[in-house]
Parts: sequence; structure tokens; C-alpha cells
Amino acid sequence: MIGPAFAAGGGGTVIPNFGRGSNCVRNNHTFCWDWVKQHWSDTLGPALVQHIVLTLIAIGIGFAISLACAFFAHRHGWFERPFGTLSGLLYTIPSLGLFQLLVPITGLSTTTVEIALVSYTLLILFRNTLTGLRSVPEDTREAARGMGLSESQMLWKVELPLAVPAIIAGLRVAVVTVISLATVAAFIVDQGLGSPIFHALQSNFTTELIAAGGLAVALALAADALLLLAQRLITPWARLRRA
Amino acid sequence: MTFVHAFQFIGDNAGLLWHKSVEHMAIAAVAVAIAMAVALPIGLWLGHLHRGSFLAVNVANIGRALPSLAVLSIGIAFLGVGKANVVLALLVLAIPPIITNAYVAVDSVETDAVEAARGMGMRPTQLFVKVELPLAIPLTFAGIRTAAVYVVATATLAGFFGGGGLGDIISNQASYGLDGVVGAAIVVTVLALGTDGLLAGVQYLITPRGLRGDTELLGAAAEYEATRAAPETA
Amino acid sequence: MLATALALAVAACGSGGSNSSTSASTTAAPAGKPGAGKPALTLGAKNFTEQFVLGQLYKQALEAKGFTVKLKNNIGSTEIIDKGLTSGNIDIYPEYIGVGLTAVAHDNKSYPTEQAAYNAFKTFQEGRGFTLLDQTPFTDVDAIAVKPPYAKQHNLKSVGDLKNAGGFKIGAPPEFRTRFTGLVGMKKEYGITNATLVPLTIGLQYKALDSGKVQAADVFTTDGQLQKGSYVVLTDPKNIFGYEQVAPIVNKKTLTKEGPAFAQTVNAVSAKLTTKAMQQMNGAVDLDKQSPSAVAKTFLQANGLL
Repeated sequence: MIGPAFAAGGGGTVIPNFGRGSNCVRNNHTFCWDWVKQHWSDTLGPALVQHIVLTLIAIGIGFAISLACAFFAHRHGWFERPFGTLSGLLYTIPSLGLFQLLVPITGLSTTTVEIALVSYTLLILFRNTLTGLRSVPEDTREAARGMGLSESQMLWKVELPLAVPAIIAGLRVAVVTVISLATVAAFIVDQGLGSPIFHALQSNFTTELIAAGGLAVALALAADALLLLAQRLITPWARLRRA
Repeated sequence: MTFVHAFQFIGDNAGLLWHKSVEHMAIAAVAVAIAMAVALPIGLWLGHLHRGSFLAVNVANIGRALPSLAVLSIGIAFLGVGKANVVLALLVLAIPPIITNAYVAVDSVETDAVEAARGMGMRPTQLFVKVELPLAIPLTFAGIRTAAVYVVATATLAGFFGGGGLGDIISNQASYGLDGVVGAAIVVTVLALGTDGLLAGVQYLITPRGLRGDTELLGAAAEYEATRAAPETA
Repeated sequence: MLATALALAVAACGSGGSNSSTSASTTAAPAGKPGAGKPALTLGAKNFTEQFVLGQLYKQALEAKGFTVKLKNNIGSTEIIDKGLTSGNIDIYPEYIGVGLTAVAHDNKSYPTEQAAYNAFKTFQEGRGFTLLDQTPFTDVDAIAVKPPYAKQHNLKSVGDLKNAGGFKIGAPPEFRTRFTGLVGMKKEYGITNATLVPLTIGLQYKALDSGKVQAADVFTTDGQLQKGSYVVLTDPKNIFGYEQVAPIVNKKTLTKEGPAFAQTVNAVSAKLTTKAMQQMNGAVDLDKQSPSAVAKTFLQANGLL
């Protein structure tokens, strides 16, 4: 006997029909389009939205920190080395490893995930912003000083705008990196496109594995293409500089 | 705190961790070796011919954009679990940086040097081997280094796909406890940093003396600086 | 044990609240939105199908009563989720009594009845500031399953009968070899020494049984695959696999903060969860690939809890 044999349970349990999966799904064929269509709204769609949110938060915070640090390093050159080394170190730590290293400190929460994701954006955003700021020709700076601009005006009105191509190029790498790493985040919090991937691995469900994996790839490529377009639109002159 | 326990775990389970680390590096090494065998000839030769630049440069962008967990998932969905299949999936991630860097390295060799060599009467093959390749070493090797660090990091995910390695421990808190997971995470971090450091050293040693100190930016525009495959982690 | 089970059945059918020591709770869900305005709480769930479903069931039922629930899904092992509980990261999660006793209370005693095990665990938790809400009718224990032809061939009804089946292969996760709720108990209580363990990850046992790779497999009694009767589940008269009914462990402070309707709502859901119901819900998720949230919603609606 398996267990208490309730016929009607505690006060009559009703067991409704939950909907039988199609033959394709029940036999775990490689890809069942019908499942994807049926479960877009309850599984894949929400995962996609969560993924985008996780990414945007990480990029937002990472960009703010990197920008501030790059400004600082631009004025105080000594800062570049330590910050560059630190962010480079963080960058090299395998994501699953970094997530698990943070768990004892910040627990199984989105905070842990975001701290890790932000860390991965720092190196590229910092380096690119700094390179961009430094690429402003000295003549331009001289001219600006000649016109009476203060240091901070120079930063915001001259140096930053001219650094935009490098910054966007950096954002492009950072966004794509974060999208990729956010898939692993699902191991810590059940959010993002990694969530259906892990579920599919556990339940041996090929369709979900391919659908969620494919969505992650599509999202990354789309983000990359969008930022490339933005890069070209905002700085058409940069294209001419290519050797 | 847990970190103290984690180091205790490392001490108590050195054998297990060693075994897993070897497994881990083996998968990574095989993937990088095959990637080099495939990507280097193509990238270097295309660079020599100055052909296929659009493809060569964009392969790296697309390759870098591919979420590694997704690539592994899709690969395993079609191929089934196991070490061989994980290596195959890792190949997809390792080839782009190698091929692009190899291409750009040869393609961007200073025209002056090439002209001078032709002027001396070198045939195309001699030119390739004696002039272009040596000058291409730094950037090419940077691509290999990038791929290697990327693969060592991504191999951590192999644990989910029956690939073994340290990921086996990091993804399996039920069996190894938090101490084990954090311990293995520390070990894999050391491995990744170690690989990067070691290869940086090798890169320094094999770079022709005249080109040393120039590995950060070789010729070309800021766009390359930004879009060249920087060390990725997964 | 059959008699005990029947007695329990009658008792539970009659008064669903008799197992709980919290203030007069009935199996009927409270009316209106008593949770509105109460502080938010965090519900945890472990990382397998049944727990996903349970998490969704409790979450949606509570939200229907106006409570604000944050669901932390996919938490790994018992060790981790208990830490989450004691550190205040989560306020409540559904635990299996037997697992709770051994893994959390470090209590390896064998209890004569489900109720005794429940009471022991409850006493333990109350000593640390937590308590248990009502237990579910269903119990999700390990069990040994075989294919019907094999059962017929060797006249297998209970686990002990395997002794006479000659050498056989059993598919189970690697830990099965060293667990009392595994080969160790099977040897000690039933004298089974003719089993060879084939390590398999959870989820692959049924395939292995079907293909003949193994003759027996370690399954869970609420697995969806067991609905149809395509497998024979062997009885466990010596109860080596223990009692694994579910009871939500909850922080006493949370109970006070959320008011009596909170426990009532949770208990109302628990009362409806029979083995058959869990099998169907697990099957819907594992076999028909429905989402746990949709399955939970359908179930709650059909039972007037949503």
C-alpha cells in the first residue's frame, strides 16, 4: 500500500483535467512547436522579461559605477591600475563560481545575482570609457581651454561626447556579456531564461531546452545588433576612421 | 565563516578536487586545441589574402554574443549528454576569438613591412612565414589566450551536462554542502586566473622583442579595441 | 500499518484540524480577503517538480485571500532551505516529515506511526521558534517499482519478496547505496543482498525500467508516471522508507503577524492534497510539460480555493 488510501481526501478532493500534452511532447521529440506556442505566456515570455530586467539593472548600475570611476581615473591617473586590476580579476572569475562565492554573504537573492553581474561589466565599461576620454586630441582640449571652459565643463561638453563611440562599443560588449551570464543566474534565483533551461535539463525536455536556449541567443544577438546600430547612428564619423 | 570551512573542505578533499580539476582542464585543453587546429589556419591564411574581412571580424562578435549556457544546452539537446558533446559545444565558443584575432593579426601587418619584403624578392609563402606570421604572433596569441580563459570558465557549466569537471561540485550542493561548493568555486577561480596569468607570460615570451609592450593596441582603430574579444567568462 | 492508515484516514476525513495545535483551524478556507494589509511573507520551495507545484499551490491560495507572498523557488537541498528559514530569508516552506527528522533534527529514530513522527518533528521545531502546520494526506516516500511481468514472474508484492528473485539490478541515485532509506535498510530489514545498484539521475529510472536496463528502480510514490498502473509499486511493511507526508514549517512570528486566516488558508490547501492528486499534478508537469503555476491554478479553482 502506497499510503493512506483516501478515496475522496479531506472533504472531497476534486482532480481536474490538467490538459494532456501532445504526442510530440509526451514522446520528447526534438522540437514541439505546439508546446512553445502554448507555453509562451506562462513560461518562456515571463522568463524573457525577467532576463531583460536583470540585464538592465546590471548594466545601469555597472555603467554608473564605471563612468564615475573612469572620470576619476581620468583626473587621477594612479587610479587606473588598481581599479583595472580589480575589475579584471572579477571578470576572470567563472560566473557560477562568483555566484556561489557570494551566496554565503548575500544569500540566494537577486542581490547576489546583480552584484556578480555588475562586477562583470566593470572592466570593459571602465576601460572603454577611459580610452574614449583619453582619445580626445590635445589640440581640442587646448582649444576648449582657450575658449574659457572649466575642467568640468570640458569633461561634459567636450571629452564625454567625443568618448561616446568607445563607450557604446563597450556597452555593446557589456550587454552581451551580461545577457549570457544572466542565464547562469537562474541557478541562484529562479528567474531569467536560465530557469526554463535548468528545468528542461532536470525533466529531460528537449523542446524547452532548445526554445529557451534559442531565445537567449536571439536576445543577445538582437541586443548586439541594436547597439551596433546605435553606435553607427550616433557616431557616423567613427566609421571613417577605420584604417 | 563559510570561507574558513571552504578552505577546510579543500584541504580534506584535495584528491577529489585534483581529480575534478584535471578533468576540467582536460576538457578545456581538448576544446582549445581542436579550436586552434581549425581556426588558426583559416584565420591566418584569410588574413594573408586580405579576404573575407566582414566574416572574420563578425564571427568574433557573434561568437562572443552567444550565451554559453544556451550554446551548451542546444548542443546537448541535439547531441545528448557526455564529455565529447560538451567539448563540441565548447568549440563553438572557442573558435570565434581565435579566428578573428588570427585574421586581424595578419591582415593588419604594416604594409611597409610587406612591401619591403616583396621588394627583397620574397615569394608569397616566404612572406607569410617570415614576415607576416612573426608580426602576427602577439594578437593571434591574445586570441588564443582569450579563448582558453573563456573555455576554462565555461567548462564550469559542463557539470550540468554530464561533462564532469569542477562544475560537478559547484552545481551539486546537495552532495558536497555549501563548503564544498564554495571550495570548488575558489579552486576554479584560481584555475581561471592561473590560466590567464600563465598564458600572459607565454605571450610575453613569444612576442618578438620589437613588438613587446604593444599588445594592448595593435594598429587599427578604437573599434577594434572595443570589439576585440576580451577575456570572457561564463 | 494498514489499520493505522485507515484509522488516520477516518480521523483526517472527519476533522481536518485535529492534527494542528494552532488555534481552531478547519479545512474550509476563510472567506473574504483577510490577508489584505498584512506584511509580505516569503515562501520557499525546493528544486523539484512536486515542490514547484506545492509552492504555487500555497502561493496562489494565499494571494487569493489577499496575502502578499514572495515565492523563492528552486532552493537546493534541505540544508540550504533550512538555513534560509533560520536566517529569516524565508518564513515558511513545505518539508517532508521523515527528511526533516533526519536531515534537520538529526533524529534517526524510527517512529511507529505517521502521527508520532509528525509530533516529534513538531516538538523539535517548536523548540527553535518554528512550528508545523497541518500535514497533507499524501506522503511522498521512496518506493521500489518493478514492471508487472517481472512482478508476476517472481510473485512480488512487498520489498521483502525481492529476496527470492535472484540477482537483480536496481536503478537509483548514487546515495541509495549508503542510505538506510535505500540498500542499507533493504539489507538490514528485508535481508536483500542480491541487488546491484545502477546509478541513475532522478528522472531516468522509468526509462531504465522500460528498456530493461534495470529490473527494479527507486521511485517516489507521487511520481506522475505511477498514475497509469504501468508499474507495480512494492509495499514496505517494515517501513524502512519512513513517513514523508508534507507539513509546512513556519516561523511562529510569521503566524502571529499574519493572523489566524493565514494558517487556515494553508491548511485548507494541504487537506486537499491526496496521493492521487499529487500524482496527477506531478504527471501534468513532468509528462505533459504543463507549467507548475498553471497546474496549481487549475487544481485550486476546481477545489474552490481560488
